[in-house]
Amino acid sequence: MTEDSSLDPLIVRVLDGELRPEDLPPELRVEAERAVRLLHPPVEAPVSLSPWFEQRVMAEIRRRPRPEPAAQGFLGWLLERRELRLSLRPRVWVGAAAMLALLVVAGVQWQATRAGSEVAGVGDSAYVRFTLYAPGVHSVAVAGSFNEWDPRQAPLTQTHTPGVWAGTVALPPGQHVYAFLVDGSRWLPDPASPTVDDGFGQRNSVVTVAARGRVL
Amino acid sequence: MKSLILGLALSGSAALSLAAQGTPSPRLEGRVPPDVVRAVTAIVDSASHAGLPVELLLRKALEGGAKGIPNDRIIGAVRVVSGQLAAAAKALDGPAPKAEPEAIEAGAFAINAGLSPDQVHSVAQAARASNSQAGALRTAGTLVAIGVPPGRAVALVEGRIRAGGSAADVLQLPQQVQSAVGRGATPAQAAEGLGKGAGQGPPAGHPDLPPKAQGKPRRP
Repeated sequence: MTEDSSLDPLIVRVLDGELRPEDLPPELRVEAERAVRLLHPPVEAPVSLSPWFEQRVMAEIRRRPRPEPAAQGFLGWLLERRELRLSLRPRVWVGAAAMLALLVVAGVQWQATRAGSEVAGVGDSAYVRFTLYAPGVHSVAVAGSFNEWDPRQAPLTQTHTPGVWAGTVALPPGQHVYAFLVDGSRWLPDPASPTVDDGFGQRNSVVTVAARGRVL
Repeated sequence: MKSLILGLALSGSAALSLAAQGTPSPRLEGRVPPDVVRAVTAIVDSASHAGLPVELLLRKALEGGAKGIPNDRIIGAVRVVSGQLAAAAKALDGPAPKAEPEAIEAGAFAINAGLSPDQVHSVAQAARASNSQAGALRTAGTLVAIGVPPGRAVALVEGRIRAGGSAADVLQLPQQVQSAVGRGATPAQAAEGLGKGAGQGPPAGHPDLPPKAQGKPRRP
């Protein structure tokens, strides 16, 4: 609050709630009470309207001519403006709350069903473990139609078993062809999987992931 | 004024069309040499205009680039895949609605694996009612990739479908053949055993099948 130079600092402290008017010297007390009345009472005092106020307003509304309905028949009746009075009793509140709870529960279950199907969609992918026995090599990677044939995306690591390289890749449903890249230069098909001609004089391996992530 | 707007719209769409045709796929840039990008883009455009799916074409080019294959061989391999897609689409074309891209790709895979276009057509016809053409074609192709002769693979898939097998049943066939191979059967023997086990022996006169006089091959 900025300080008003026309007010005594003690009155300002009263307005700020730091002092009570009766704490002030008598010569300032009247001025402080007036300042407090000016600032606070209009907002703090409850607003009370005449008990006949509502009746007068509604009588005025009824007195005014009704606008012509824009449409005839049922539509006209539906669009016609009319006074509407609502009274909610406790049992109505209870019923409404129960209905709302039902809707919330149903909505949550519907969402859960949707999430379940999405989770199943994600679950349709399969984590496929690729393994190659390649003793004495320095690096092995797997590349195929599932990773744009980019071996950097799926390097295999050496397992505890000497010469065995392995890595796990998430594959979406569908049929995938792939091959192992050994030491960054030699492409080998997976000896444990069916193979097809790669069109370049070599063979690619084939893995099929069916729905629900089953590897065929 | 109307003619001006029409003219602008037509020239705009023509320019967009030309730009789309000449735009190389960003997926290929940096993965294959520029010459290959241009050639493959032309093949992709041509296939796309023919209504063929183009994903396998791009993948084949990426594969060639990753494997360090010379440019002309990459382009040649992409052309071969384009031809396989066209052959599959033709084999799948029938009175029913136009083949799905997935079925065309599956047909191309089966042709690459060793099925003839006629065999692709036959499998697709058998699977048409069950609406699982792609799965049936992939299964037939995978069976051939395992080592089952193409005719026997077709007979096995068609037999399983005609016996009322579900799409999942058909997809299980390669695994079942591999299990039998793991127990010592040849792929052909495994396929024949599966066909007979299901009460669906291959139809007479099917290619790749030995004449009846030769008898059943024995398991080692």
